[in-house]
Amino acid sequence: MLMISPRMASGMQEKQYTPSLLSFFIYNPKFGPREGEEEKKILFYHPIEIEKNEKIRNVGLCEAIVQFTRTFCPTKPAKSLHTQKNRQFFHEPEENYWMVMVVRNPMVEKPNKDGKPPTVEYQEEEIIDSVYGSVLQQCYSMYKLFNGTFSRAFEAGGVELLTQKLEKFFYRYLQTLHLQSCDLLDVFGGISFFPLDKMTYLKIQSFVNRVEESLSLVKYTAFLYNDQLIWSGLEQDDMRILYKYLTTSLFPRHTEPELAGRDSPLRPEVAGNLLHYGRFLTGPANLKDPEAKFRFPRIFVNTEDSCEELHLIVYKAMSAAVCFMINASVDLNREFCEKLDSLVGPQLTLLASDICEQYNINRRISGPEKEPQFKFIYFNHMNLAEKSTIHMRKMASVSLTSVHPDLMKILGDINCDFARVDEDEEIIVKAMTDYWVVGKKSDQRELYVILNQKNANLIEVNEEVKRLCATQFNNIFFLD
Amino acid sequence: MDHNGQESGNMEEVKICDPSILPQCPDHTDTDVPSENHCVNEDHRTPSDPEGLLESADHSSEQDVLPQEPSTEMQKLHVEDDRSLCPGGSETDSGKASQDSALVDNSNDDSGEFVVTVLARGKMEEQGMGMKGASSPLSETGTPLGPPSHRNEDVTADSWRQHRKHVFVLSEAGKPIYSRYGSEEALSSTMGVMMALVSFVQSGDNIIRSVYSDEHTVVFMQRGPLVLVSVSCSRQSEQQLRNELVYVYNQIVSMLTQASITRIFEHKKNYDLRRLLAGSEKILDGLLNLVDSDPSFLLCAVHCLPLASSLRDSLSQILQKAITPNLVFSILIAKNQLLTIVQEKMVIDDARLEPADLHLLLNLIGASSAFQAGEIWTPICLPSFNPDCYFYAYISYLDPPECTVCLVLLSTDKEAFYSVAECKRKIEEAMQTQNALKSIAKAQSYSVSQVGVSDLRHFMYKPFDVPDNHRQLTQFTSPEMEAPYSSEEERMRLLDLYRDLHGRIHSASRPLKLIYHVAERETLLAWVTSKFELYTCFSPLVTKTCAINAITKLLRWIKKEEERLFIRYPPKYSTTPNPSRSSKTDAH
Repeated sequence: MLMISPRMASGMQEKQYTPSLLSFFIYNPKFGPREGEEEKKILFYHPIEIEKNEKIRNVGLCEAIVQFTRTFCPTKPAKSLHTQKNRQFFHEPEENYWMVMVVRNPMVEKPNKDGKPPTVEYQEEEIIDSVYGSVLQQCYSMYKLFNGTFSRAFEAGGVELLTQKLEKFFYRYLQTLHLQSCDLLDVFGGISFFPLDKMTYLKIQSFVNRVEESLSLVKYTAFLYNDQLIWSGLEQDDMRILYKYLTTSLFPRHTEPELAGRDSPLRPEVAGNLLHYGRFLTGPANLKDPEAKFRFPRIFVNTEDSCEELHLIVYKAMSAAVCFMINASVDLNREFCEKLDSLVGPQLTLLASDICEQYNINRRISGPEKEPQFKFIYFNHMNLAEKSTIHMRKMASVSLTSVHPDLMKILGDINCDFARVDEDEEIIVKAMTDYWVVGKKSDQRELYVILNQKNANLIEVNEEVKRLCATQFNNIFFLD
Repeated sequence: MDHNGQESGNMEEVKICDPSILPQCPDHTDTDVPSENHCVNEDHRTPSDPEGLLESADHSSEQDVLPQEPSTEMQKLHVEDDRSLCPGGSETDSGKASQDSALVDNSNDDSGEFVVTVLARGKMEEQGMGMKGASSPLSETGTPLGPPSHRNEDVTADSWRQHRKHVFVLSEAGKPIYSRYGSEEALSSTMGVMMALVSFVQSGDNIIRSVYSDEHTVVFMQRGPLVLVSVSCSRQSEQQLRNELVYVYNQIVSMLTQASITRIFEHKKNYDLRRLLAGSEKILDGLLNLVDSDPSFLLCAVHCLPLASSLRDSLSQILQKAITPNLVFSILIAKNQLLTIVQEKMVIDDARLEPADLHLLLNLIGASSAFQAGEIWTPICLPSFNPDCYFYAYISYLDPPECTVCLVLLSTDKEAFYSVAECKRKIEEAMQTQNALKSIAKAQSYSVSQVGVSDLRHFMYKPFDVPDNHRQLTQFTSPEMEAPYSSEEERMRLLDLYRDLHGRIHSASRPLKLIYHVAERETLLAWVTSKFELYTCFSPLVTKTCAINAITKLLRWIKKEEERLFIRYPPKYSTTPNPSRSSKTDAH
């Protein structure tokens, strides 16, 4: 991305370049242990047009860095390399399988006089390691969600199958990375939960139970409304990465056509079904189509022990979406899908309507908020609950924030401080812009607040944060 | 055993020579004048000049070095030693009646100097200092001799890996120059890997900065032909570790000069710099110990010993009056803190002594027990002032055998030893007249309880407001570390907390104005304004209101005490000749 900011009256401009992906590769040193076999170590390399010897050199550098840090700590090797021009992040998700992401540092290009080429100045301190380290880990988790572990592919079909799977997955996935938008939320990898009254929650619970009883093939279910999770039968870590896939990849792909006009050719055909608004987001796009395919994406869960392979059925009505997960050994056919559609469609439509009505009632009672009174990020490590008034609604997986990027980085710094210790802590800082940033950590919960009260002192800032906790987190105790 | 025997033999040899030297002093001096000139010329032409003189410094505390030196070296050392014993020798050559009187005085001084040297050495040995591995007849107790050496540590052992911080210095050719722990030979392959990493990244038109793992930060820094690497499991920021490497580099420059280092490696890329730095490892070791334990380095400021302003002014006046051409700095140090400093007027206009240079000088003095044995005349480069030129430093303790008050006189003239030594004598006489040493001995750091805030445990304060337009030496003040920071471990923990605050508040990309951190065992506050920089440590249960009130009170207290805590009005002198001086000379 290119952002231009005018600096001189003559029209000469400084150009600011945000961080971008330079390369991404995966290697296993065991596959090419002898000299002359270096190329065999490389399982995947992006960009693909890089010359072979350069790939080998770059992998060699990573091996040298890892080996060097092992001199001082054999069990905890390197995680990142900082250079003038870029950062390299290292992740060993499985023994001897290394993933490396190389991110170019943000740059400022300054014009020179007399037609000389512009001067490039690298901003070496702008990238926060924990953010991009988390992004690299997400790359692996997403691959594993759809392919299982590296070892699994290798055991099934050797290096050849593994490299095929890596190329197939990462070729598309890397295009969806938006490194300039990564921030503290990527460190948390949290889940946004939908606020719900007890009665409506019980209705949803009842719905899930009935569907699982009628469709006995369904092993796991997850229920979301408006991109927020309400109920999940999956383990936390699996739900975490599935949630990310749904909210940053699957849902956005289907939301944009839906926003199109009723008569738009992009709108899915529903002429034949006037009973409900339900439809499949995975699998058959139109049940009425004789040519419809009944292939669903497969996902892998519980990879640490049983490693289950499942069909992922995502079915949506209005703003409510349900994930049904069925053992991959089962063949899903038209009969099953029609049964699911006729059973789930009407009920989900009604349920979505009820949830929406209840939500609007609650909003009417509490009053609509045009602008959040407080800008904060909240995260609970125990249930992965995440809430942010700083981040605006996500569009096409690009996250926009309503505060200056430097403040987001200060949040990242405070988060790094919290990650070092187990005890409860509080950090309050005043930035050079006179914004106040408050970080609170208590009982595995973290809260970060940004306050624009330039003339406030420490005591007043503290009172303001107390007020926030009273209104937003009255059930949670924060150390003061 | 044999080694100890040799040591003992050397001591005996020195003792035997003692009586014969003294009565033959005048003739001996006459004989050696040509040799001295020869050595001086030789020193002037070769890059090994600092090595020779530093060897001389080592020589006075390590007698065993003597028999292993080549003949020219022995000659030079002999001259040096002789000059130390007979500082007035050159004056006796004229044979004038008035100087005959001076000769008598000088003889007395020589005798006193020699006695002081012997007593100082004896004291050192009693305290377990001085010669390594030597059991001297003067040592009456069985106390261990000197700190244990890290040179021979096993670099494959876990204990080597678990050091808080490793520092390596190597040349561009990958030649090992220095390692904080373990011998350079044993680590040559590891250093080779470091250089390979630097070169590899460089070949991609890039520069390696650092490597991070869960437990370690590795920082790389290249300065000219040298590469410095820090491997740390402390929580310091990369910038802080880099600043420490700058200190290591500058300490090396202070011994060799930057121009000399550059020239050496231009001439021979593969040069083994250890040949020039041999015997200096403990200076670099001492520096690395200091940067960990002394917040002066973190704050880039000088710690001043609190002193009544009247006494400080009196000491400054003493220094101001003892001048000679080419003298540019006169510095008085007590208990490793600055008492006072006087600068040549012209120097002040052009430049000033930076805290970083003073840190190197203080480390040089503190790291080597040789300076306690008498008076030292040594070349020293102050890299922040001018990285390519030497000053010549006269260094002498004024209070043997305690050796807590040290006088440093810096001159630009290599030949000025005698005139600078004369300044020292004047200073010493004036201080004796005023009984200054006793007053200085009473001066000490203050307790934080004097501020009168119960929750305040410790603080560091660095003022930016300067009363005059002088570009002043940056200073800071800090009370003693007391309970619960009495143990070395707790002191290090508090300093680490301060380093955390410092790293965040001075971040290169996102600096801050204020940090308030409630941690498990204490509450910390760091505050930077245009007038000061403040780091404070409170008990963990302090409320924010109490903390703010405490700071208000603390700032008021510092304001009230600032005349005692800081050198507010640094004095200066002029060493340019004037008619009145000429008149005095005639009278004399």
